[in-house]
Amino acid sequence: MTNHAQPLQETHWAFQPKAIAVAGSILGLVAFWSALPPFTVRSPLVPILIGVLAIAAGLWAVTRGTRRLGWGAIASGVIGLGLGLLATRSSSGNLHVVFAADLVAQVFVFATPLTFGALGGMVSERSGVVNVGLEGMMLMGAFWGVYGADKGGTWVVGILAALAGGGLFALLHAYWSIHLRANQIVSGMAINFLALGVTGYFFEQLYGNQNIPSGVSTVPNVAIPGIDHMAYLGPAIGDLNLLIWVGVAFVPLSYFVLFKTPIGLRVRACGEHPRAADTVGINVYAVRYAAVVVSGMLAALGGAFLSIGFGGGSFTENMTEGRGFIALAAMIFGNWRPFGAWGAALLFGFSTALAYRLPVYSSSAATLFQVLPYVLTLIAVAGVIGRSVPPAADGQPYVKQ
Amino acid sequence: MSEQATPSANLPPEQEPSTDFVVRLGVAQRAGGLVVPVLTAVLAFLAGGIVVAATGHNPLTAYRGIWDGAGFNWIFHIPWNTNTVNLDAFNLSQTLLTTTTLILVGLAVAFPFRCGLFNIGGQGQYLVGLIVANWVGVSFASWPTLPHVLLGIGAAAFAGAAWAGIAGFLKAATGAHEVISTIMLNWIAIWGGQYLFGQGGPLQNTYNPAAPESGTVVQSAHIPVFWGNPVLQGLDYGIFVAIAALVVFWLILNRTTLGYEVRAVGFNPEAAAYGGINVRRKYIQAMAISGAFAGLAGALDMLGYLFQFGVLDVQASQIGFLGIAVALLGRNTAVGTGIAAFLFGGLLYGTTRGLNPSVFDPSLAGNLTSMIQGLIVLFVGADVFVLYIWNSRRKLRPRRRAEAAAA
Amino acid sequence: MADESGSVLELQGITKRYPGIVADDHVDFDLRRGEVHALLGENGAGKSTLMNILYGLTKPDEGEILVGGKHVSFSSAKDAIESGIGMVHQHFMLIPVMTVAENIVLGVEPVRDGVLLDERGAEERVRELSQQFGLAVDPTALVSSITVGQQQRVEILKALYRGAEILILDEPTAVLTPQEAGELFAIVRSLQADGKSIIFITHKLNEVLEIADRITVLRRGKRIDTVSRQGATEEGLARMMVGREVLLRVDKAPASPTDVALDVKDLEVVDERDLEKVRGVSFSVRRGEIVAIAGVDGNGQTELVEAITGLRRIASGTVAVGGRAFEGHVTPRMMIDAGIGHIPEDRHRRGLVLEFNLAENIALHDYDKPPDSKRGWLYPARLVQRAARLIKEFDIRGGGPLTLARALSGGNQQKVVVAREVARNPVVLIAAQPTRGLDVGAIEYVHRRLVAERDAGRAILLVSLELDEVLSLADRILVMYEGRIVGEHAAGAGEEEIGLEMLGGRKEAA
Repeated sequence: MTNHAQPLQETHWAFQPKAIAVAGSILGLVAFWSALPPFTVRSPLVPILIGVLAIAAGLWAVTRGTRRLGWGAIASGVIGLGLGLLATRSSSGNLHVVFAADLVAQVFVFATPLTFGALGGMVSERSGVVNVGLEGMMLMGAFWGVYGADKGGTWVVGILAALAGGGLFALLHAYWSIHLRANQIVSGMAINFLALGVTGYFFEQLYGNQNIPSGVSTVPNVAIPGIDHMAYLGPAIGDLNLLIWVGVAFVPLSYFVLFKTPIGLRVRACGEHPRAADTVGINVYAVRYAAVVVSGMLAALGGAFLSIGFGGGSFTENMTEGRGFIALAAMIFGNWRPFGAWGAALLFGFSTALAYRLPVYSSSAATLFQVLPYVLTLIAVAGVIGRSVPPAADGQPYVKQ
Repeated sequence: MSEQATPSANLPPEQEPSTDFVVRLGVAQRAGGLVVPVLTAVLAFLAGGIVVAATGHNPLTAYRGIWDGAGFNWIFHIPWNTNTVNLDAFNLSQTLLTTTTLILVGLAVAFPFRCGLFNIGGQGQYLVGLIVANWVGVSFASWPTLPHVLLGIGAAAFAGAAWAGIAGFLKAATGAHEVISTIMLNWIAIWGGQYLFGQGGPLQNTYNPAAPESGTVVQSAHIPVFWGNPVLQGLDYGIFVAIAALVVFWLILNRTTLGYEVRAVGFNPEAAAYGGINVRRKYIQAMAISGAFAGLAGALDMLGYLFQFGVLDVQASQIGFLGIAVALLGRNTAVGTGIAAFLFGGLLYGTTRGLNPSVFDPSLAGNLTSMIQGLIVLFVGADVFVLYIWNSRRKLRPRRRAEAAAA
Repeated sequence: MADESGSVLELQGITKRYPGIVADDHVDFDLRRGEVHALLGENGAGKSTLMNILYGLTKPDEGEILVGGKHVSFSSAKDAIESGIGMVHQHFMLIPVMTVAENIVLGVEPVRDGVLLDERGAEERVRELSQQFGLAVDPTALVSSITVGQQQRVEILKALYRGAEILILDEPTAVLTPQEAGELFAIVRSLQADGKSIIFITHKLNEVLEIADRITVLRRGKRIDTVSRQGATEEGLARMMVGREVLLRVDKAPASPTDVALDVKDLEVVDERDLEKVRGVSFSVRRGEIVAIAGVDGNGQTELVEAITGLRRIASGTVAVGGRAFEGHVTPRMMIDAGIGHIPEDRHRRGLVLEFNLAENIALHDYDKPPDSKRGWLYPARLVQRAARLIKEFDIRGGGPLTLARALSGGNQQKVVVAREVARNPVVLIAAQPTRGLDVGAIEYVHRRLVAERDAGRAILLVSLELDEVLSLADRILVMYEGRIVGEHAAGAGEEEIGLEMLGGRKEAA
């Protein structure tokens, strides 16, 4: 796999195969993007050159043992090259319509609930508890978020309410999975059904058919001074919602906590080999409880974004519409790692955003791009692009001796 | 011959019996009989009732309204009120229509469970069957009824089997977890349906290009109705197909070598492999059969009373997921699934179109159903465990001493 | 009682009872500073229980533990660790996807800047310890990528990192190659030189005489004696371990074997880690005789049986049954069809489907053939009929054909397995630990049955960890040690000699 024993290194980290592979993947993206606004290069040479560079970087990495990331870079280069070529042949007008600057903003909008959900799922599964109830926890966050913002007057109360709602259901799932040792998938699905019913019921009960009143406090956007007036970057990232930035921030944060702190080490130990963790004195039950509750809260934040972040203070029944499951898919596709999951969330978000714009070309293409995340995940779990390896003890209840 | 402890216990201890969910459900099945599922349902209804009461409604009138809405009162003639008898009969017929679907999607979950597989893809397999049945029902317009309907049903079952078979194949060939793959396939099917029935889609109706819905199944492909007025959507013969499916389910599991193999794999894949059973092939076969049941459900719905399906319907449909609750409540058995399907059928219809809005708000009631569904699944997850512990304690009595032995 | 000067650890009168058996019976044990004290005994002697008590994993029913002269009571492994006791288990508690350093510091991680995991610091400290004790291992390597010998060193480092002064090594050479074992001994000596005190649990005589200063022998939960290495001999130790017992001897006529039914030639088998478990074994079993393979658990018998019954690939060599030779990839189906009957050593995992009733279990190999079924259609009544017949014939008690296997006692469950295999009329019957976990009555039944089958002309291969069983049943005895046959004896051979070979020793030529 990607990790293997490295002898004492004198080479700079930037030249290690892993970094080269990551650079290659990014280059592939650049190859495609070069033909899109704001660059809109028309000469096919540019995407070809950059794409070739990406493939080369990938090959270099693969031959030095970094197989998964290296092949990813090669794939990125090939796809970027191909798409870039296609783009140079497409009419410039069409390109500007589809790939307008706010596409980037839209990608972030779609990707944010997925990011929160995927990070939440990752935390839970890293501790050894499968959480398919992300959808339900997200939905709870969405509803109680807007309810809290409405009754509490400010979006801060809304966020707190969302955290409480998601955390409560997560606690339920944790109790069922850890203490009662129920089948974790059954428990997760039950949470989903329950959340659907509870949020729908209380929505009807509390708001009837009038819907959430307008003017509910929502999470503000963050206007970045200077950038927000620039031609391309402005509409792209100059005025994004706060929760989007929070989501982005959680990615390195979760990486840091999970892989650079003692707490993270213990969480991962509980997910890989709970008995080993137990014998060195770690309280596996407590760690798992905490992880599951955190995962529910993260998912709830994703839901809150839907209702009081981007949603402008609205709610509809079953608002999450399967995003919790896509988040699960992103987590798997990202191999249970923070940056991988985020990359997958962005990819899926891009696919969805594109799907909304592609009716310019053809409506069947739009559906294709909506389906793409699911197909990609199917391919990922089948292990076609390298094994997707969950934590070793994922899903197995732990029995203390 | 006394069964005392033995000096030979200085040998390594035997393995503890597996705590696998299927084994536990099997234990629960044999031990709990009827009492436990009934208790589970009662508890769930109780919990639902508490929520209703806590939000200022009268749970008794709410449940009574659902009961009437489901048409259960027709069975018991309570109240025997000639004003409403026809309405009650109609409600019951609709409940039975829903039961038909639920039996089949329930079997689609129950069968693979017996093989140790968790099929969450019932919704997608149902949609695939529904789509194929629609296509057959719209095309082949000149065919007489019986062959036309049979073709629709057969093609739908085959399509559902293939759709589920993908997940089974992935599990057999790569070890991919069927929960993830079936969930993904669900969504692929949903989007596929939206594409096919949507504007410009190949199966969209030809008379109104603005309406994103499918073509209408021709009259000759409608499954005949035997109770009620066909114009007002009566009960068609599909219910007998569903009941037959229950019998087929039981026969396969208990009277065929395939069923023997499926059950063996579900309980103990290692012993099954040792007995010569090809475990991987069993996974594919179990998923395929399950998909056939779900596809059949789609066909019976399409050719029985839907006749047409729109993009919005594809998005809103949730019936495949109810199959999970049905199967779990019914302990993955034929009889259990049948009864649980009837219960949920009544609940589903009784809380939606059957409910008298002045008694209890239908949108509240619909969500109540989801809550009860969730609670039942939740309780099944836990009581299985409780039962298992209760049973293992009794049987593990002579083995505890072996713990000491690993010296 | 005079306090032994230099005694770092004392166990006094430790007793532990489980339902129906006394695992440890008033065992005394003491450990001096800087010594290597071997704890010797067969499977089931009480060694592991004693150490689990010492390490805080179990509580004794009676007895005292004194560390450094002070009375202590442990309620968890953490307490024991805090008292300076470290344990290296037989089955490692290591996380494969993490590095050596991470595994070592887990639970007591060094921290810098308040919240960060001090990876460099951990690696440094691990390197220091490595140097100090000669435990060469790369702290940045993933545990999954290092050898088993190195993994064991990581386990030792784990204990040392937490300040262990007393180390318990539980059957440490069970998973090592001979070279790695040699390296381990060097490490032990180095630890000893540093003042650590070591308890070395083993069943192998040659090791004991090489490494130990004192040796305590346990047998059936009792301490037999504690001797110093000076003057101890393999024969003497073996006699203490195996002892003179009243054996359950079965009355049997001498065997009259006929032609060869099972012929194994130069068989080599590897396990999942590509370790050689069976290293060139050759033997044959004739009809009408019982050949027993004696040996301590873990010397390759399991893998040998798995290869013969088709559960594991034959790396090299051949297995010939009833005239047909097999090599390479084999399946259970192949071997069953060739005429092998197998009573597996783990009846719950491989032998029975506990949730099936007796009729279904008995049909496990034949359900897809007439008369049980025809073209896919099953006839449960016929399964029940056959089961009823076998239940009577084999005197299976606890239920009828429709009773679940799970409801039967261990002995009766084993009877079901025996009945199923024997009723198929196999050419060769392989019985692996057939009386494991059974009571006296059931054991007697199984023994009588095996002899009866032998007299009826079947070839029987018995694999057993119980020397008594081997001695009472076998017509010929093969002793297996570290993957090879190291001795062959006829019935009536001296148990000491066999016991010696089982433990890796060899009787000196007179």
